[in-house]
Amino acid sequence: MTLFINPQAKVIVQGMTGHQGMTHTARMLAAGTDIVGGVNPRKADTSVSFDDAQGHTIDIPVFANCQIAKDATGASASVIFVPPRFAKAAIVEAIEAHIELIVVITEGIPVSDTAYCVALAQEQGCTIIGPNCPGLITLPNNDDVKGTNLGIIPDGIVTSGPLGLVSKSGTLTYQLMGELADIGFTACLGVGGDPIVGTTLLEALQAFESDDNTKACILIGEIGGDAEQEAAQWAHQHMTKPIVAYIAGFTAPEGRQMGHAGAIVSGGKGTAQAKQEALEAVGIRVGKTPGQTAEIMREVLAGAGQ
Amino acid sequence: MDLYEYQARELLEEQGIAVPRAIFAQNSHEVAAAADEIGYPCVIKAQVKTGHRGQAGGIKLAANRDDAILTSEQILPMSIHGHKCSGVLVTEAKNILHEYYVSISVDRASRDFDVLATAHGGTEVETIAKQHPEAVKRLHIGALEDFDLAAATEMAKSIGFYHADVHQAANILLNMWRVFKENDATLVEINPLAKVGDPDDEASKSLSALDAKISLDDNAAFRHNGWIRFADPVQTDPYEQQAREHGLHYVHLNGEVGVIGNGAGLVMSSLDAVSGAGEEQGTGIKPANFLDIGGGATAEVMSRSLSIVLSDPQVASVLVNIYGGITRCDVVAEGILEALKTINSAKAIVIRFDGNAAAEGLATIDAAHNPRLHVAPTMEDAAQLAASLASQLSAVSLGVLPERSVSVETSQEGR
Repeated sequence: MTLFINPQAKVIVQGMTGHQGMTHTARMLAAGTDIVGGVNPRKADTSVSFDDAQGHTIDIPVFANCQIAKDATGASASVIFVPPRFAKAAIVEAIEAHIELIVVITEGIPVSDTAYCVALAQEQGCTIIGPNCPGLITLPNNDDVKGTNLGIIPDGIVTSGPLGLVSKSGTLTYQLMGELADIGFTACLGVGGDPIVGTTLLEALQAFESDDNTKACILIGEIGGDAEQEAAQWAHQHMTKPIVAYIAGFTAPEGRQMGHAGAIVSGGKGTAQAKQEALEAVGIRVGKTPGQTAEIMREVLAGAGQ
Repeated sequence: MDLYEYQARELLEEQGIAVPRAIFAQNSHEVAAAADEIGYPCVIKAQVKTGHRGQAGGIKLAANRDDAILTSEQILPMSIHGHKCSGVLVTEAKNILHEYYVSISVDRASRDFDVLATAHGGTEVETIAKQHPEAVKRLHIGALEDFDLAAATEMAKSIGFYHADVHQAANILLNMWRVFKENDATLVEINPLAKVGDPDDEASKSLSALDAKISLDDNAAFRHNGWIRFADPVQTDPYEQQAREHGLHYVHLNGEVGVIGNGAGLVMSSLDAVSGAGEEQGTGIKPANFLDIGGGATAEVMSRSLSIVLSDPQVASVLVNIYGGITRCDVVAEGILEALKTINSAKAIVIRFDGNAAAEGLATIDAAHNPRLHVAPTMEDAAQLAASLASQLSAVSLGVLPERSVSVETSQEGR
């Protein structure tokens, strides 16, 4: 079973030659991700030198667009770092080249652009993770399956283990990865904090449910929308694996956007309280703090005889 | 960004949606002139970015000039649900025959756009939507699709616009969609969309947008130069203004503990932890602000953030909560020390570092030997310490405690 991505997948980076793109391409390569190309129409037919996981210097070619990059390399995944105003065109380009998995790190994309891209991806059978997210990390496991790191999640803080983690928040993802580093993870992904996202909390739980190596899940939510309630309902009916949740934003005042474009309580809807109640109503325990959430997960695993 | 009614009307008018004649005024002289021009009776409406103005006394009818001046003198200084009135709109008083509700918004769940309409508009629309959800019609517009006159007409018929109005209603719906699309709005709401006119004269009856609420997508500001006209300097909180100028996500709140962290989720979580600690300690201490320094913050960003938070007199202590991913804790530590070089403040700062370069960051803090800097091993401990320090400092400033009683154990252990 491979979660979200085949660990052998070849990956391109749109916006690789920018500051963010360079920094994180170097990190992803060092983590073992098979990055085969960058995309930048103004720097086509050049290349950029990086160190790979073994410390060897490799030259990563830059292509004019996703289709050319895919034809030349066989890439099936893309990580996008391009600025918000060019993000829609970049995502559409990836979809039109039929890149199977598109991870969008960019923060600040207009919601109508995201809505368009998500609908187009659905129509064309591509998966988007994000936007405004830290990306996806899958861990190498004992069966010689290598890990992949698509995005900005720090690697090296965790090893392989039985937990799956899905989160609306980047830093809280790292926090819980850190708290449960000794137990370990199959995969961690941030779905992003925008009002409209490609992969939802519910879809991530579906993937973890069908993954044999994942034994329990952590769900990190926050104020805004009702994706947590929707995930709770689905989990209640279909999920056989235990879930422990954490929700951020109990003290957020109504009508104020708390950092993320989607983190806003409006018209009394989308409160942390309502999310906690919906989760607890279907038997999902919710930690008061990230620390307590990790403790509950330990109890749950102990109870399940892990 | 939410618009005032007078700004929202402008956008509706630009797409040809009928609105009553109206003039925005900010003092009683302007009101008198506006009312003379509009004619009597006229309606004086408080311009605030919140609902339920009518019930709060923010909308009044004025029969003559004196009445208009008197009414505006009552309304202009008002604060409605914490929102300061930025002026009044003097509008034509229309004879209302019926009130409808129509809106277009982003639907997060179905990831498309949502047209909502009901023939039961006005102030009670929320109650009606709750008690009779079947009276509210809903139509989804897919993100790859468009909205056309046929679909708009179908929608208008379904909510029961009186026969002769269907065509006009359909055109209003279609024009609202244009307002929505062309302005990158996340909400365009008309309530009430009223049938106005003389009840005995069929020819005088028409639909008019008597009130409107529009929210624009801040992320789309880069493609709308015209939004500069919606800037609202009068209402802006000085700390929020300062933070925005430096591209920081900041929200001013009412408590005593300044909160700085990296990542929106972690900062929200820190606010909850401070609030929880205040409750547990029985002091009612609360967070004073939300401030996200973002990913990969530089020492300069940290230093500036701390300066803004410390300059708020309401702040008694500060919690700096960093989980280093891309952000390096040692760089954040340098930023903290940098800020303290120039700020003479007695306020305690509680630091929690974890992740990327946490040990180096803690070593930097330790080496500074600054008695105002405290370190805690976990976010929960840090929140507890920041809350208790804030309550003691507040007590000192209120003269309840002598100053030297402020001593709290600090832990220098990182994780």
